[in-house]
Amino acid sequence: MRARVMALVAVAGALGLQAAPAAAQNATAWVHVRVEEAGKGSKVNVNLPLPAVEAALAFAPPDTFSRKHIQIGGKGQVTLADLRRVWKELEAAGDTELVSVEEADQKVTVARQGTWVQVRVSSKKETVRVDVPVTLVDALLSGTGEQLNVRGAIDELRKLRGDIVQVRGEDSTVRVWIDERS
Amino acid sequence: MLKLIAALLSVPAAGLALVASTGVMVVDVQEGGPGATRIVVPVPLLLAQAVASLAPVPAPRIDAPELERHLPAVEAVLDALAAAPDAELVRVEEPGERVVISKAGAVLQVRVRERGDEVAVDVPLRAARRVLRSLHGGRLDAAELIAALRSARGVRIADVKDGGDRVRITVW
Repeated sequence: MRARVMALVAVAGALGLQAAPAAAQNATAWVHVRVEEAGKGSKVNVNLPLPAVEAALAFAPPDTFSRKHIQIGGKGQVTLADLRRVWKELEAAGDTELVSVEEADQKVTVARQGTWVQVRVSSKKETVRVDVPVTLVDALLSGTGEQLNVRGAIDELRKLRGDIVQVRGEDSTVRVWIDERS
Repeated sequence: MLKLIAALLSVPAAGLALVASTGVMVVDVQEGGPGATRIVVPVPLLLAQAVASLAPVPAPRIDAPELERHLPAVEAVLDALAAAPDAELVRVEEPGERVVISKAGAVLQVRVRERGDEVAVDVPLRAARRVLRSLHGGRLDAAELIAALRSARGVRIADVKDGGDRVRITVW
């Protein structure tokens, strides 16, 4: 009897796990931004349906997403072409640290951890945590030349749920996440 | 005699019915303090639209190339918002100041509170889209603006409290 119940729970769990991503893709995704500055006593909350963000981006001028270089840390720069090449080479490498920049006043690391790319910036004044799914980076870098494929990235954002950016500064915090609640 | 009175009364009654059915914007200005005055101005929108259409004066020009460039994006965002469920879209809070923008039904509500002053503006999304469309070419078409107001009936489009003074604009 106990084994039968356990089997039923396992089947239900497996079905639930399979149903969850499908539900996530059907419901409207909302992008949330919270900015708090304790010193000034100010709070900014922005909640936007992803289709509205997509609509705005659809009319952005073509050069909006053109980047010759990606800034990493204060002085470090990587060309988009180099980033694409490195990303392709590291695609099959598994978990690894992709970039590490150590300067006098801050440390920046970009690492791949499972299905996530983790960007960490730490300095005396602030800590930045950015977690981006590998599929999102794949989509973003799937553009050609100096173009980032932001529209492809938006398609990936539709499937994403949870925190994307967290910044904890000396006096301020920023959080960006996606869920299905308005 | 009764027939004559009925016939005479039917003319203004029909006029009022026509005005009411084609939209009226009521501007209600109330001053604060002792001996304050209150002015209520009903503006028949059909008449205003006709005057605006026939007026020989050129339509007022809005020199906003930035706005002009972003109009398609703004229109697309308004469409996406219209299709989205009701929600608080933006909230900014600072000491002594609060701004809230929400979507409620087919209306975008903007609420600003700064110390003693309060501003409440309701923007019907459909009317806003119509006004934006009329802005193409950088020119504001007054007749089109009034037509957009006519499509926003039953909405208090503005309620401003400034100290003791209050201005309310409602479209009926």
